[in-house]
Amino acid sequence: MSGFRRVDACRRLGWEAVPARVLEAPATMYACALKSVGENSLERPLNLIETSRALRLLDRHAPGGTPPPEDASALGLPTHAGLTARLKTLCRMPEEVQAAVLDETLSFAMACEIGQLEEGPAVAFARLFRRLKTGLNKQREIVTLVSEIACRDGIDSTAVLSEPEMIRVQDAEDLDRSQKTQSIRRLVRRRRFPVLTAAEDHFHALRRRLKLGANLQLAPPRDFEGTRYTLTLSFERLEEVERLRAQLDALVRHPDFKALLTGKGRGFAGTTDP
Amino acid sequence: MKIAALYIDARVADRPDAQRICRRLGVPAKTVADADEVYADVAAAEDPIGSGKQVLFLTRNKGAFLKECPGTRHYTCCGYRILHIGSYCTMDCSYCILQAYFHPPVLQYYVNHEDMANELERCLSEPDIHRIGTGEFTDSLIWEPWTDLSRTLAQRFARQDRAVLELKTKTVNIDGLLDVAHGRKTILAWSLNTEQVIRSEERGTASLDARLRAAARGAHAGYPIAFHFDPVVIGEGCEEDYRQVVERLFAAVPPERIVWISLGAFRFMPDLKPVVQRRFPDSRIVYGEFIAGLDGKARYFKPLRMKVLRSLAQAILGHAPQTCVYLCMEDDEVWRHALGFTPAERGGLARMLDEAAVRHCGLNAGSCRR
Repeated sequence: MSGFRRVDACRRLGWEAVPARVLEAPATMYACALKSVGENSLERPLNLIETSRALRLLDRHAPGGTPPPEDASALGLPTHAGLTARLKTLCRMPEEVQAAVLDETLSFAMACEIGQLEEGPAVAFARLFRRLKTGLNKQREIVTLVSEIACRDGIDSTAVLSEPEMIRVQDAEDLDRSQKTQSIRRLVRRRRFPVLTAAEDHFHALRRRLKLGANLQLAPPRDFEGTRYTLTLSFERLEEVERLRAQLDALVRHPDFKALLTGKGRGFAGTTDP
Repeated sequence: MKIAALYIDARVADRPDAQRICRRLGVPAKTVADADEVYADVAAAEDPIGSGKQVLFLTRNKGAFLKECPGTRHYTCCGYRILHIGSYCTMDCSYCILQAYFHPPVLQYYVNHEDMANELERCLSEPDIHRIGTGEFTDSLIWEPWTDLSRTLAQRFARQDRAVLELKTKTVNIDGLLDVAHGRKTILAWSLNTEQVIRSEERGTASLDARLRAAARGAHAGYPIAFHFDPVVIGEGCEEDYRQVVERLFAAVPPERIVWISLGAFRFMPDLKPVVQRRFPDSRIVYGEFIAGLDGKARYFKPLRMKVLRSLAQAILGHAPQTCVYLCMEDDEVWRHALGFTPAERGGLARMLDEAAVRHCGLNAGSCRR
């Protein structure tokens, strides 16, 4: 019922006999399962995968298929229906996903999300996040964008993650984990929103050519949807304001400034750095 | 989809309209004291959104029959008035916002027509021009097999000269309207899209050819005709695909019979996305380049909208330079790029449409808004 690893250790030590306690008959399978789980859970906190296995074990042998909540509670297991339903999926996920949960590179929430994918993509994401060791929000962003690219292009998420540029970033020896995460986020965003990111690039190239300096900042409307741009002036002394005024006069006459304000219809294209 | 279950609100069970629909449908009816009973049955289904399309609930409209078009201040609205005859639809378009609009969505048809008629009379007695349509919360003509409402409305609108009724549809259910003395006060309007979009996203709707044939029949019967390219779905090759639809449109209906043509790029409330992903896993419609619009809806990145709407507008105006082409829920920047002017330069969108209605439908120009 329990102690299999201890028995195995004894065998490897060459012991031929160990003391054992035998449950008195009739011991139901469910009673055995309760004792088996309690043997571990009452001694130390179970990790997520162990909790998942324990819940499944109780389910398998409980009369009617569902253990009474008080039994799970007495064993220190969660009882909330939604949570236990999600926990029970963990131990059925691919080994690599479980390993990522255990080494805490994949949160429980994220594991549940990628656990719903086919095995190939789930493993590919788990492998990626074990390498990047990035936070939940960035993981979620990458999973969402890659999955949407895959749906849009009618390919597998694994194929997106295996594209040469993605592999190059993952294997780059000159980048640390944070830089790799940034590069991958940029890559998938570019793949997911090619026109939007190209327009952003064109816009930034034009803005660079304006040479605005540190005291003058030009911000476009969010996602270029609105029509109003924002100019921010920062100054401390009167002379700086004088300089900014001259700079603003020059800006108004600059052809690239006009191109910025009127180039939205063509995604600011045809305006890259000379 | 066929109606599989019919529920009747006990308070309207003895109304002639309700009884007539029961007879025509030939589906066993269940009378209920409370709408919650219907909602509970639909909500219990595995796919409540799909199930709601097969459950018809005959009831009364407890609110207003005439409503303002739900536009937002960030984008230009057409100022259309909605005649709320019922809600939801038997067709199953992946992008349909009604899937996320009602909880749960149920096909409802209101039979307290005397209340509707009273409200309509008050509206028609006003001096202003009104453009009124039934195709906002439902398709205008899905109800034709079981009701005579469109016919009755067309006859009523024929007896006045201050308002037009627009019946907007993706069906070809116009047989019951062809012999009506409509006096050009009813506009028959079709939503159009490319063959590919119709095939992949508009389940249970009439084909493009069938819609255009129906439009030609409507025009032949003297009805003013309108078309709505909405939603315009942006993707590879879409500009050429839409140009081909435009060619076919004008091969079917002469420009002089067309009151207006609207263009609206696909936009959706964020709640719709998971619905489309769950119900239409093969659809790619929500994977375009969408950003959050100023009204909170997902919209295509603006330069994309500007480019495709301009291309479509030019194709239409190349055939019909005099036809009123307008954009649905776009701002001045998109208008200027796509059409070369802003609504304000022509007195506002509502006025543009009023004037088109005056020209094509014989409305009394004296009541046109200034």
